Amino acid sequence: MTSKSIVALEGVAKTYGAFTALHPTDLAIAEGEFVTLLGPSGCGKTTTLRLIGGFEQASAGRISISGQDVTERAPYHRPVNTVFQDYALFPNMSVSDNIGYGLSVKSNNVPKAERAKRVGEAVTLVGLEGMAHRRPGELSGGQRQRVAMARAIVRRPRVLLLDEPLSALDVKLREGMQVELKRLHRELGITFLMVTHDQTEALALSDRIVVMNQGRISQIGSPIELYDNPANPYVADFIGGANLVPAELIGRDGDTAAFRIGNGMVVRSRRATAMREPGRRITLGIRPERFVAATSGATNSLECVIRESLFHGDRLRLELGLDGITMPLFAELPRTAVSSPSGVEPGSHITLLVDPDDVMVFNAKEDQE
Amino acid sequence: MRMRTLKTPMIAAFAAVAITAQTLAATAAELNILTWEGYAADKFISKFQTESGCKVTASYVGSNDDFAAKLAAGGGVYDIITPSLDTVPMMRLAGFVQAIDTAKVQGHDSIYPEFSKNSDFVAEGATWAVPLVWGSVSLIYRPDKFTTKPDSISVLFDPAYKGKISLWDDKSAIYWTARYLGYNNVFDLTDEQLDAVKAKLIEQKPLIRKYWASAGELTELMANQEVYVSNAWTGLTSKDVNNLKKGFEVVEFTPKEKAEGWMDSMMLVKDTPNQDCAYKFMSFMQSADGQCGIAESTGYFPVNPKAVESCMSDELKKERQVNNIEFVKSLVMWQQPKRLDKYLEVWNAVKAAP
Amino acid sequence: MTLTRRTLASFLALFSLPLAWVLLLLVVPYAIMISVGFWTRQFPLFHPDFQFGNYVQIFSDPQYTTVIVRTLKIATFVTLGAVILGYPLAYFLVFTVRSAALRNLLYMSVIVPLWVSYLLRAYTWKIILGTDGALNSLLVSTGIVDAPLDIFLYNQTAMVITLVYIFVPFMVMPLFTVLDNIPRRLIEASEDLGVGPFMTFWKVIFPLSLGGVIAGATMTFCLAFGDFVAPVLVGGPNGTMVANLLQTQFGTALNWPLGSALATVVLALVLVLLQLSMRLDRAGRVDLA
Repeated sequence: MTSKSIVALEGVAKTYGAFTALHPTDLAIAEGEFVTLLGPSGCGKTTTLRLIGGFEQASAGRISISGQDVTERAPYHRPVNTVFQDYALFPNMSVSDNIGYGLSVKSNNVPKAERAKRVGEAVTLVGLEGMAHRRPGELSGGQRQRVAMARAIVRRPRVLLLDEPLSALDVKLREGMQVELKRLHRELGITFLMVTHDQTEALALSDRIVVMNQGRISQIGSPIELYDNPANPYVADFIGGANLVPAELIGRDGDTAAFRIGNGMVVRSRRATAMREPGRRITLGIRPERFVAATSGATNSLECVIRESLFHGDRLRLELGLDGITMPLFAELPRTAVSSPSGVEPGSHITLLVDPDDVMVFNAKEDQE
Repeated sequence: MRMRTLKTPMIAAFAAVAITAQTLAATAAELNILTWEGYAADKFISKFQTESGCKVTASYVGSNDDFAAKLAAGGGVYDIITPSLDTVPMMRLAGFVQAIDTAKVQGHDSIYPEFSKNSDFVAEGATWAVPLVWGSVSLIYRPDKFTTKPDSISVLFDPAYKGKISLWDDKSAIYWTARYLGYNNVFDLTDEQLDAVKAKLIEQKPLIRKYWASAGELTELMANQEVYVSNAWTGLTSKDVNNLKKGFEVVEFTPKEKAEGWMDSMMLVKDTPNQDCAYKFMSFMQSADGQCGIAESTGYFPVNPKAVESCMSDELKKERQVNNIEFVKSLVMWQQPKRLDKYLEVWNAVKAAP
Repeated sequence: MTLTRRTLASFLALFSLPLAWVLLLLVVPYAIMISVGFWTRQFPLFHPDFQFGNYVQIFSDPQYTTVIVRTLKIATFVTLGAVILGYPLAYFLVFTVRSAALRNLLYMSVIVPLWVSYLLRAYTWKIILGTDGALNSLLVSTGIVDAPLDIFLYNQTAMVITLVYIFVPFMVMPLFTVLDNIPRRLIEASEDLGVGPFMTFWKVIFPLSLGGVIAGATMTFCLAFGDFVAPVLVGGPNGTMVANLLQTQFGTALNWPLGSALATVVLALVLVLLQLSMRLDRAGRVDLA
């Protein structure tokens, strides 16, 4: 991987005085990949992107792009371009001047005719025909976003850095632009490195997602890997969401392990094959959409009281109370799973079932991560 | 769009103080004087206040032209003004002042009649001004910078002293130049003569380091070695510069074309409500306390020889030309130019010239 | 009806003072000034009239046009000097000084002199530039010259230096604000696109700071244009500026009509200039959002 990686971070760290924004981190991104740095604000994802872009100086470690050490290089000497969160379009220039800006300086050595051609292509690529002479102030949010994209790709960078590129757009537009991004990535064939706090965006677009938490990488993997096999409760909760319940191993029967949760109820899982020692404290993780409504108390059935129910179109999201456990559980059920509206009114009882294959088991200490 | 003068803020401040003081002392008798600095020194004014019961508030002018400017701007604040000889007629013509009943001015009879009966003072059958103090304007120079002692106004036009010459920023620059050019009708120059004067002054400009606007500025210019020669108030500037002990001396001299003489007098502002105090003040200024007081505080000459009889030493009397009215004849006494506007225009044109 | 009355009452409560201010202290004085400009000077005073003689005199007598042109020239040099000095200073404060505390301290140190008497600050230059002054002492003691030079003081250069020094805060203030408001992201974006600091300055920062340059230049120019202290303190025999002429007409010459006419001409010049600067500003205005 390292030999083919286009971006490589080795032990890169960033501190601001006593505050550590990024702990020593290794990361390798392969040519042509679409990689997303995902995490809540303050997790270090933007710092990582800015370190690669050259807007911040690494406190330690080494950053290389295309095999070249760029740790000490200024942004204008790095073969990457950035789409900024607020687009950072030059308000004093027209759309085409903005896009052609990176080609206009002498050092870039792009002949005038060539420049015009490439700007024209970029304008077409992002669908801004007819807007070339407008100023950024005269464009809508989505159009500005496209200008920012065109401006960054017109220089044909090896890596395109995208800092929350869609966060300033409204929901409808955001979904359209997701498709656009995916298309551009495929057509351009260059590496995309995106920062976002929106897990659906990350899941929809990325080849690989780097989940970050408190200045460290929590897990790296494809969207499916992260969703199906989160390495820790943090990832499980951040990607897709999960009910996290502390529990204790009480024994096992073949490939099925039995755990006792706070109120004495027993939950079984087939995903803890390695765990043997009874009494071990762990955390169970159950995704809300893995619950099914049941009528009788079969294996892994939970008797719950509905505290609140939210209508989500074809699905219902329920906030549930479990006897002896203060923390609420969440479940998402198909609308058809409930016979009548009265069945999900607050205060009514419901029995939920979860397949032991869908009960995730995490070491308790990882809860800290 | 600024119309204030350099002195205006200061004067405005003084005026504000004066008005406040006036309001506070509304019941007490009062007197407001617009005069020169040093002319209302505490030393003798406090004595007047005690004797007369009149509370004195003084405001100050920087030049003779300030009197008209102040009074034209609504001068109801002042009771007495003290302009120089060449400004006295204009005050009367502009209607700023009223005639003075000399019978009410004690000691008026013992003033040099050459002054008190001056044709500009006694006009239209009435007396308009009471002499206060007088002096001369001569030249001063730095002997250490001159190989031969200068004796003529021509030194002010000598290219050898380029950049080391100063001149009073005043219409009197025209008088000096006219006399240098040999005109005797200094205060009534013809258009041709004025043109010649103007040309001469413009020709002189490259030689001038700075036109001085106040005695203090000239003292500074001399003390800081910016200039070596200038016209100056006799007695004042040379003394001030030499007192600074800068390691060089400045010396006064009277040019062969004569020095100029001036005299300041008291005039009564029209419709003043404080006439009693005003007459008391004019009388006081003709007494020993007044004449010696002002002579001491300014260094200028008294106008009333009888008043200073007992309060001046013989030596000082000689220095201050007491009873030497002949000295006046050695001077070119100021008069108001016949065509004042024209003179001012010429002087302003000189200053504006490139 | 009640609503209208109430609106009127609150309108008056809010705006009567500023309106009265504008009316009594601006409109009325300007009206007086303009009308006095048509009066006639008649020794020893002047009387109301309606004639254009004062304006004829101003435009036919070279002494007035000479001084107006000189004043324009000096104000232009002062403005240029203030830009050349103030821009790098504001730039340095905004972009180079990293610590906010230090930046504020330096900014204050630029502004603080405004609290010191204008006269005092102008006077200081007399002490520095004089024949016996600090500059000459330095030059003589270092052996650069043998004898003190008198070329520093009492000329138009000294006036320009003094006025630049005095008015440079008025240039730095708007520039600081404008530069400080330029999003850092734009600079990052430029560098990200392969453009080095120098071209980033010319193509991004400078165009976006033009509004501040125009505001600062307008203020500096108008202040310098109306100055009368520098000519008196550090100007030589060729130092007379328009404000000094005005001072003379209202003082020494007691020719208020001519003075008012001259003041009206100056007012018109300044208004034209303000119009020009507003147009320039509007043309160059960009939405930073």
